[in-house]
Amino acid sequence: MTALLDARGVLKRFGGLTAVDGVDIDISAGEMVGLIGPNGSGKTTLFDCLSRVSSLDSGSIRFDGVDITRHRPHQVARLGLARTFQLIRVYRDLTVSENMELSIQWGRVGTARLFGRTDPSTRRRVESLLEFLLLTRLRDERAGALSGGQRRLLEIGMALMSEPRLVLLDEATSGVNPTLVAEIADRLREVNASGVAILLVEHNVRFVAELCHRVVVLDRGAKLAEGTPRQVMENPAVIEAYFGAEGE
Amino acid sequence: MKSAASGEPRSGARLADSRRRRVLVRVSVGLLAMLALLPALPGVSNSTLFTLTLMLTSVAVAVNWNLTGGFTGYVDFGHAVWFGIGAYTTAILMSLQTNGPQVGWAAPPAIILGAVVAGVLAAAIGRATMRLKGPYFSIALLGTFVAVREIVRVSGGLTGGGVGLTLPPYLNRPLFYYLELALVAGLVAFTWWLRSTRFGAALVAIREDEVGAEMRGINTTRLKVTVFSFAGFSTGLFGGLWAYQNTFVDPDIAFVEVRTVDAVMGAMLGGLGTVAGPVVGTVVLFWLRELLWAHLLDYHLIAQGLLLIVIVLFLPRGLVGIVDPRGTSVTALWRRWTGRGARPDEQGKEP
Repeated sequence: MTALLDARGVLKRFGGLTAVDGVDIDISAGEMVGLIGPNGSGKTTLFDCLSRVSSLDSGSIRFDGVDITRHRPHQVARLGLARTFQLIRVYRDLTVSENMELSIQWGRVGTARLFGRTDPSTRRRVESLLEFLLLTRLRDERAGALSGGQRRLLEIGMALMSEPRLVLLDEATSGVNPTLVAEIADRLREVNASGVAILLVEHNVRFVAELCHRVVVLDRGAKLAEGTPRQVMENPAVIEAYFGAEGE
Repeated sequence: MKSAASGEPRSGARLADSRRRRVLVRVSVGLLAMLALLPALPGVSNSTLFTLTLMLTSVAVAVNWNLTGGFTGYVDFGHAVWFGIGAYTTAILMSLQTNGPQVGWAAPPAIILGAVVAGVLAAAIGRATMRLKGPYFSIALLGTFVAVREIVRVSGGLTGGGVGLTLPPYLNRPLFYYLELALVAGLVAFTWWLRSTRFGAALVAIREDEVGAEMRGINTTRLKVTVFSFAGFSTGLFGGLWAYQNTFVDPDIAFVEVRTVDAVMGAMLGGLGTVAGPVVGTVVLFWLRELLWAHLLDYHLIAQGLLLIVIVLFLPRGLVGIVDPRGTSVTALWRRWTGRGARPDEQGKEP
């Protein structure tokens, strides 16, 4: 299967600190991949590089055959790569509906539509996604007034509004109550079943193991292991990275 | 958590919003009608009309400043430069002389070209500076303002230098008043329409979270520069009109820092990022200043400074913000401007 996202030798330094050290990662269409690692292992920095929020010091990234190594974030988003952030990014002064309406696929918005208002098809998509994410009753609330979990769901909805082919989800369950975590897992399974590939950064290893087809482990910026969730969980190097060497 | 009433046609919030909009439209039409009838009233002198025309000019500058400062959150401390460029271009074109008789341009094309020059320069400056964030952008624009004023001052051959330029006099106060009233009404209507479009919503998205907006596919640079250029064009247009009415320009009256300060204060007092805010704020500020001048001549600047503090402390969303929550607050703008202060969204994690 040809990789939808194919990153080779991604290297990112901040001064003397190498945050991501020559990582190779690929994701096929329709795949759900987990990206785990201890704190400071470079997961979010790798996300920033893949989504072009951060520039690379070296390496290359291809998305659906297009070299996006030097693209700007909006160009990557228009190709069908969406993401959420570790620190939730929603437009706090706008309503839930407005947040969703703003997250359309901007690549299809020509100059004429740029100066138009929200069309009925966008409104229908907003309503359907809000219903899917159990946010319908909050559609006219300001996003700043939502709880952390509701904002997480809204951010996932905003990522899905653009009809992406790959979604990078950064800590989708962080700060979310356990009931809502189960709901998020169900929704992600459904999204993935519809053909959208997902790359998931998570601290909740059980969540990743239950959802993902494949897991990549980072440690100190480098790839430590890769395989099925079971293979990774039984890998001594991974256990050591998470819990330290025996006798330490 | 259950989803509720997905088939609900219009919620209470939307109904309240549309009711508010209807009231606002009626009030605006009423005010416009009153202002249109004003010159016909007995006792309204040319001097009053001139004062009102100056007020309308201030309103226009504040509305234009709000397009970048209020909608996109890019606080422009040098906005008055576009006013000065529009004024000077108009003055230069209208006062052109050869060795023989005066061959200056007629006012309409000179004023329009002045606006175009201001818009084109705004596009060039915006392209270069709008990648800067917070105070860096603000200071870059303040620097642009000072630099352009000094360039005008030393380019005596073209601009008349410190002596300035005199324009052919044409004193018709009612005409200027109606012209500015129509232009300001058109500008406010345009801003209202712009805010209701995807473009307007995207500007607000830039203000709220520029990285997030980029990641959602919005070409933030293009949108920022477009709106900045339009604001420059529009302020340049009013600068040209002002020069024509004033019949004289020099660097110290065409390039005045206070014009930017007034725009910022007017937008803040009325409501940052709202359509009506800069209009209401500037009108209140204009008459307040007249009052302060009359009664507190020595202390009027102190009184203005105190007013600014009161706005920040007690009316962070401005006068219009009390009823229209779609703008932003001074404190939120300050937080974004300085890049300081954790948002409630942020859960104390290191990126």
